[in-house]
Amino acid sequence: MRFSDETLMAYADGELDAATRTAIEAEMAVDPVLTRAIERHRALAGRVQGAYAGVLDEPVPERLTALVAKPTASNVTPLAAHRVARAAVTSRSRLPQWMAVAASLVLGVVVSLFMINESDPWEETAVGLVARGELDTALTQQLASNAGAARIGISFQDRDGAWCRTFHLEREAPVAGLACRSGAEWQLKVMADAGPREDGLQTAGAMPLAVLEAVDAAIAGEPLDADAERAARDGGWQAAPNVAE
Amino acid sequence: MSTPSPVDQVRGQLGEMLPRLRRFARVITRNVHDADDLVQVAVEKALARAAQWRPESRLDSWMFGIMKNAWIDEIRSRRRRDRILAPEEAGLSVGDESAAAREIAMSVQVAMERLPEEQRLAVGLVLVEGLSYREAAEALGIPVGTLTSRLARGREALQAMLGEAR
Repeated sequence: MRFSDETLMAYADGELDAATRTAIEAEMAVDPVLTRAIERHRALAGRVQGAYAGVLDEPVPERLTALVAKPTASNVTPLAAHRVARAAVTSRSRLPQWMAVAASLVLGVVVSLFMINESDPWEETAVGLVARGELDTALTQQLASNAGAARIGISFQDRDGAWCRTFHLEREAPVAGLACRSGAEWQLKVMADAGPREDGLQTAGAMPLAVLEAVDAAIAGEPLDADAERAARDGGWQAAPNVAE
Repeated sequence: MSTPSPVDQVRGQLGEMLPRLRRFARVITRNVHDADDLVQVAVEKALARAAQWRPESRLDSWMFGIMKNAWIDEIRSRRRRDRILAPEEAGLSVGDESAAAREIAMSVQVAMERLPEEQRLAVGLVLVEGLSYREAAEALGIPVGTLTSRLARGREALQAMLGEAR
């Protein structure tokens, strides 16, 4: 079969461009195996959706409808109170001005499904995505002031004391993300496509909102200044005591 | 007349979206009580950050991303507290359906619950919530290529567990 199962899946989900779609449909006319494979994808999608359809008919608990009905949430749980307080503190004040400006320009992601064929400098492992190759090297060695295959944005410690850094990787499909040190590796907490958007809502090189939000949620205290960044790098990103809490 | 504030806009749309948020929360948490707690936390968070939402982007994708992050936070603090879920809390209830439909729904849900979280969320956003690959990738904060490979592996695993459709 000349189409990968991933391509057939994308066909069943209506995610293919017109040319590939036409090619598949021509092949389906003569290949019942292909037709069955696509039907199997569609049948599974239908079953999964059906399995959760009942939730939509359940009455919504009053504590949830009350949240969106009233101007202020009156019955905030302790957990939620903590979160709301933290969100209020972090949402505007902690990020440098340029990031706030970037956030206002940024929406998200536009990448065609078929642009992602470069070999990725990351790997999917049991603990999630982990940086490899040029990205791992840049995160470990580069300072924000250095140039390289990746550009390093801010560095900071998260609430568990782990070192985290934002990065921007120039490649055919540029990505930006947040990586945090775990043992001898950089775990990629968030990545988003960072190329310019066709609709002009995202400029090249801007940090995507998903990354900014992840920084916002993870950061303890302030981003490192240039001296602290250098010291952390020279120290080999050793685990350090938590700066906050 | 001034246009409604971002908070009012978000609040208005969230009201209609609650059933869907509860459904995706069920996919994320695999537990009825945790699911509604997660919706509550995410809605509060969204209202506190309503100014960050751009009206030209989809509110549902934005909410799903907030829910995923809130859940990761919750898991992390749970591990810290070392709290273990009471066994009777686990497991999903299904809306009123015929016994046969219910049985099928349960088996699909059980299969979903066995998927690794990253695959479960990809399947939930695309197959259950109907997001495009691009929107789902954006909500999860991953590149589209990563999303498609998680989705493909999730589906393959589900297919293996469920066999052919009855």
